[in-house]
Amino acid sequence: MNRIELDFDRPRALQATGPPERRGLKRDEVRLLVSTEKGHEHARFRDLPRFLEPGTLLVVNTSATLPASLPAWHAGLGPILANISTQYGGGLYLVELRKSASEPGPLAVEVGDTFEIAGMPARLVAPHPGLPRLWFVRVESDIRQAMARVGSPIRYGYLEAPYPAIGEYQTLFARDAGSAEMPSAGRPFTQRVVDALRSKGIALAGITLHAGVSSHEVEAEAVEEQVLYAEPFQVPEAAAEAVTAARKEGRPVVAVGTTVVRALESTWDGERVRPAAGFTRLMIHPGRPVRTVNGLITGLHDPLASHLALLYSVAPKEVVRAGYAEAVREGYLWHEFGDSHLLLNQPRPAA
Amino acid sequence: MNRTAIITGASRGLGRTVAEFLAAQGYGLVITARGEEDLQAAARSLRRHGGQVIALAGDVTDRDHRRRLAAAARELGRLDILFNNASTLGATPLPPLAGYPLGELEEAFRVNVSAPLALIQETLPLLEESGGMIVNISSDAARGGYPGWGGYGLTKAALDLASLTLANELSGRWVGVVSVDPGDLRTRMHQDAFPGEDISDRPLPEVTLPFWAWLFSQPPAAVTGRRYQAQADRWEVNAPVLEEVAV
Repeated sequence: MNRIELDFDRPRALQATGPPERRGLKRDEVRLLVSTEKGHEHARFRDLPRFLEPGTLLVVNTSATLPASLPAWHAGLGPILANISTQYGGGLYLVELRKSASEPGPLAVEVGDTFEIAGMPARLVAPHPGLPRLWFVRVESDIRQAMARVGSPIRYGYLEAPYPAIGEYQTLFARDAGSAEMPSAGRPFTQRVVDALRSKGIALAGITLHAGVSSHEVEAEAVEEQVLYAEPFQVPEAAAEAVTAARKEGRPVVAVGTTVVRALESTWDGERVRPAAGFTRLMIHPGRPVRTVNGLITGLHDPLASHLALLYSVAPKEVVRAGYAEAVREGYLWHEFGDSHLLLNQPRPAA
Repeated sequence: MNRTAIITGASRGLGRTVAEFLAAQGYGLVITARGEEDLQAAARSLRRHGGQVIALAGDVTDRDHRRRLAAAARELGRLDILFNNASTLGATPLPPLAGYPLGELEEAFRVNVSAPLALIQETLPLLEESGGMIVNISSDAARGGYPGWGGYGLTKAALDLASLTLANELSGRWVGVVSVDPGDLRTRMHQDAFPGEDISDRPLPEVTLPFWAWLFSQPPAAVTGRRYQAQADRWEVNAPVLEEVAV
């Protein structure tokens, strides 16, 4: 698939510049666009249960968001920003170095440069192959403590002050801290929505995928060749069994977030979802259709985002594109605090 | 004390790339390859990162040389990674098995199977003291049955089995053993397998860095016994203790 197929016009004004609460809305009062092959409907997120049939399994990401943006100091560059994308272990991290929240870089840095992250000595080990804005960085001290002390949530230029506090980034399902950026598809869920879902016979299961920093636009001409970086994931036994059972029984499985699709697809063995843990950098595109879910709740993704290729493999490309045209026309808001989109396919018969 | 690694076949290709990656993280290194000049050039480059680098030119099939490598690691104080990377393709151009020169097959087994096993035997006490990891570099030829790759593939299949058997034998001890297929890479060895052909569409060894970053961050018990593909889109740990998540 050519990257041009991921492009569309999104008016600049259609972006959430802060949490919906600042716009006088509760979390579950953001808009919900429901797209199926039959057409598109407009609702509020709290209406979600209306669009899901009893027996549906919703799979959510239980990762909690870290205050992963840290002040840094580089002798040649002065004050910079270190957005900690992914913790590998043993003092090794994948980090995006930026001039500021609104200015990405590139920065004139080299392998072997020593600098400071939140006052702690750090060393540039190697650029990530194919993604030169991301660096492997060695930090000997405890970066989680530094985050607790001086970290702030990663944000970009479109957010307006006062900037949201870390608590505003946590979803109802957040349990295990590790995401650099909020798994935002889960943010509109409230207890009343979950209660309404349960009373309609809709079950929830949880996986964990610690999301790294936002992927940029797809740069490869062929979407399939886009390089992704790996993210830690865990599909527990209960979630694996719930998805496998729903598929066998022909009940719909709906992922809450692209992270959930990536985690489930990463452990699909052709017959079932296996319990597993590790790192995944699976790129999902229409040439590699999804097998584990029939639907997806997600935000609205920017032109040329790799996530759009994933959406095209959950629902037909025409449905997604028509939905996006609808969202633009109706003035939906993009980005992590914006509106929500439910893509539903007919349940596939058990394989 | 800094972590340390022994890397064989370290003057070029994958071995050199992994050596640079570890040196940049502050690892102390013992590196080896047969050619003195190339090895010393690699050592000079690695020393830019400020860590200790002991470069010993020699042949891994030579018992005395292996003892020198282990002694050098002991000198560094510990051993966290044994990176068994040095390999031979065997006879080139790659002959079909039906006509494979048996002398060269035996030589390939000496280099690709016996030597890495012998180096494991030599360094195991040190690795156990440090809770270390043994990485044996394999190939898709170990499984593919590709015409022409039979000689090399046999040795790598044997090395895979050595990795798995060792992992089982050492289970419960503080050392992990993994087998890694790095995938096709633009290296001298790959060029030797395709003499005269253009291999510029193969990625440079740097493409495997995310995998090494991940692997060397894992506790040995989480990965021991596994066979990984460094260019795959996911890497999993052993039957993890998966907590059920209440939602």
